[in-house]
Amino acid sequence: MTWMRRNLFRSWWDGILSLVFGALAVYVVWALVNFVFVTGRWEIIEVNLTLLLVGRFPAEELWLVGASIVGLAFWISAASSSFTQPVENKRPWGARILDAVQRFGLLAGLGLLLIVLAEGMTPIYWALAIVGGIVAGRALGATRRAFAWVGKIPALVWHALLIAAPVTLIALTLTRSTLDSWGGFLINFYIAIISIVLSFPLGVLLALGRRSTLPIVRLLSTTYIELIRGAPLFVLLLLAGVALEFFVPVDLAPGPIFRAVTVFTLFTAAYVAEIVRGGLQSVAKGQTEAGKALGLNTSKVTFLITLPQALRNVIPAQIGQFISLFKDTTLAGAALSVLEVLNIGTAITKQDDFLGQGYIYESLAFVGLLFWVGSYVMSRESQRLEKRLGVGQR
Amino acid sequence: MSNKVFTDATQMSGGRTSDDAIVVMQDVYKRFKDFEALKKINFQVGKQEVVVVIGPSGSGKSTLIRCINRLEEHDAGRIIVDGTELTMDIRNIQEIRKETGMVFQSFNLFPHLSVLTNVAIGPRQVRGMPKAQAEALALELLERVRIPEQANKYPSQLSGGQQQRVAIARALAMKPKVMLFDEPTSALDPEMINEVLDVIKELAREGMTMVVVTHEMGFAKEVADRVVFMADGEIVEVGTPAEIFDNPQEERTKKFLSQIL
Repeated sequence: MTWMRRNLFRSWWDGILSLVFGALAVYVVWALVNFVFVTGRWEIIEVNLTLLLVGRFPAEELWLVGASIVGLAFWISAASSSFTQPVENKRPWGARILDAVQRFGLLAGLGLLLIVLAEGMTPIYWALAIVGGIVAGRALGATRRAFAWVGKIPALVWHALLIAAPVTLIALTLTRSTLDSWGGFLINFYIAIISIVLSFPLGVLLALGRRSTLPIVRLLSTTYIELIRGAPLFVLLLLAGVALEFFVPVDLAPGPIFRAVTVFTLFTAAYVAEIVRGGLQSVAKGQTEAGKALGLNTSKVTFLITLPQALRNVIPAQIGQFISLFKDTTLAGAALSVLEVLNIGTAITKQDDFLGQGYIYESLAFVGLLFWVGSYVMSRESQRLEKRLGVGQR
Repeated sequence: MSNKVFTDATQMSGGRTSDDAIVVMQDVYKRFKDFEALKKINFQVGKQEVVVVIGPSGSGKSTLIRCINRLEEHDAGRIIVDGTELTMDIRNIQEIRKETGMVFQSFNLFPHLSVLTNVAIGPRQVRGMPKAQAEALALELLERVRIPEQANKYPSQLSGGQQQRVAIARALAMKPKVMLFDEPTSALDPEMINEVLDVIKELAREGMTMVVVTHEMGFAKEVADRVVFMADGEIVEVGTPAEIFDNPQEERTKKFLSQIL
């Protein structure tokens, strides 16, 4: 009661605001709950679940997609646990469980929802396999810390071995299907991941190029960055759909997914470059001077001293850019006819059973949920990364 | 403290260079836009000599020692360090930087690296020393500056005095022929100044060649072989601590000393 009086009804004006917005909040929540549990007609999602998640991927090869995801989960978990010190294991179980729920609760909830929607045992097996992959990864990471001879394997070799699992599985998947048969949320996910992995080093190079002392390198980098940043992403995607035919014979031209990845990579690299450049400027001049005074050459000063600090300082902006890239993959549907999840989400409302009955609400809500969960996980993990690297305290 | 290599007349004229000189500056001139930071500086530092540079702020003390390892580029004159002349040739610059250690006013430790790595990074990356050997050397130096127990911490977890001692160890790790100290205690809380000065004094006793820019007059009196007084980008007066502090010849020196003592 005291809390309410102090925070909600301190004056009559506060009181009115609290009542109005309180009522509004109650109404919104009620409408939402009503939509999800009462009026929502989720059979459109149930019927088309496979289509939404993986598009027209050949059904008999679907297990490879599942295996790739298990491989990815294994790799991420193994790589992230291989080199960190075993810290703060003294924390009470309650706090650790709460932490795990905050980190993965939403993801697990989504998984559960998908299992319920899919009806059947297969998705449960896959969910268990993914959890198994994560556990196996952590166990392998722990092995590296526990046994000296495993710890002696050079970090680079170790990482190469770990990443071999998902890469092999994805490569195998590609040999059994054509890339352009991939679709649904799967393709949004992969376009985003591949574009992130490719655009990051390119962006860093562009940032360094823009700060280079060589005028030509500087001019080229600056021109590239300003040109790309001056064009709307959607226009670039549309352009990628038509412009290639000017240069390459039609039957040699790469498919829409390849084009989409190219555009997202080139586009994001320009933004990453500016973010990283800002980070480089935030590193104190004394750092460069101290490096030079030791006798480190220019590239060592950059790669050992300034760049690591710069990258650490820009994690929030960087992740923001990648989240935005993840969501922008939906544009590939409209611009390049990639069968990504939004494209499918709108197409299924035109199926005979659902046509003209306003199923678009349910469809969009589901697509939105997928992206929200994905973005939320990325954002949370970036906060953890920031904490671990000690931004702002070191 | 007995090896005073040059007579004062020699340094002021700057004409000849002794074989014993590690740092030689001849007619060095430096300007920042409209501001003349160094005007015709002639200056030498002999082997195992401790030179303390004093003077009012803005007098060019820092610029002087920053020219020695090319953190500032001089506009005219010659600078020769350990027989190598500073030119535009990057190889010469690298060579000289390997032989000179520098300690900054604001420490400038690498915040993303552990204390041990901060000290080991020079020998590892510049001299190509194997990791284990570089870390052993680093630990040895940390013992010398009396903080081996902080080796695995990060710079931000240390006090200012500890950080500055790590910075000294980092510079020493390159086994430099001359150490440059740019106001090493100016950013420290008063109670930490002595722990850093003690380390520097010990280095001096062991025969390290060094140029120290400082406002610590007690330290200058105790450690310096020669004291250089600078004002307005010029070397006004050079002498033993006794000569400068007890019997200054120049008006500007007298005025400066009367203001600070």
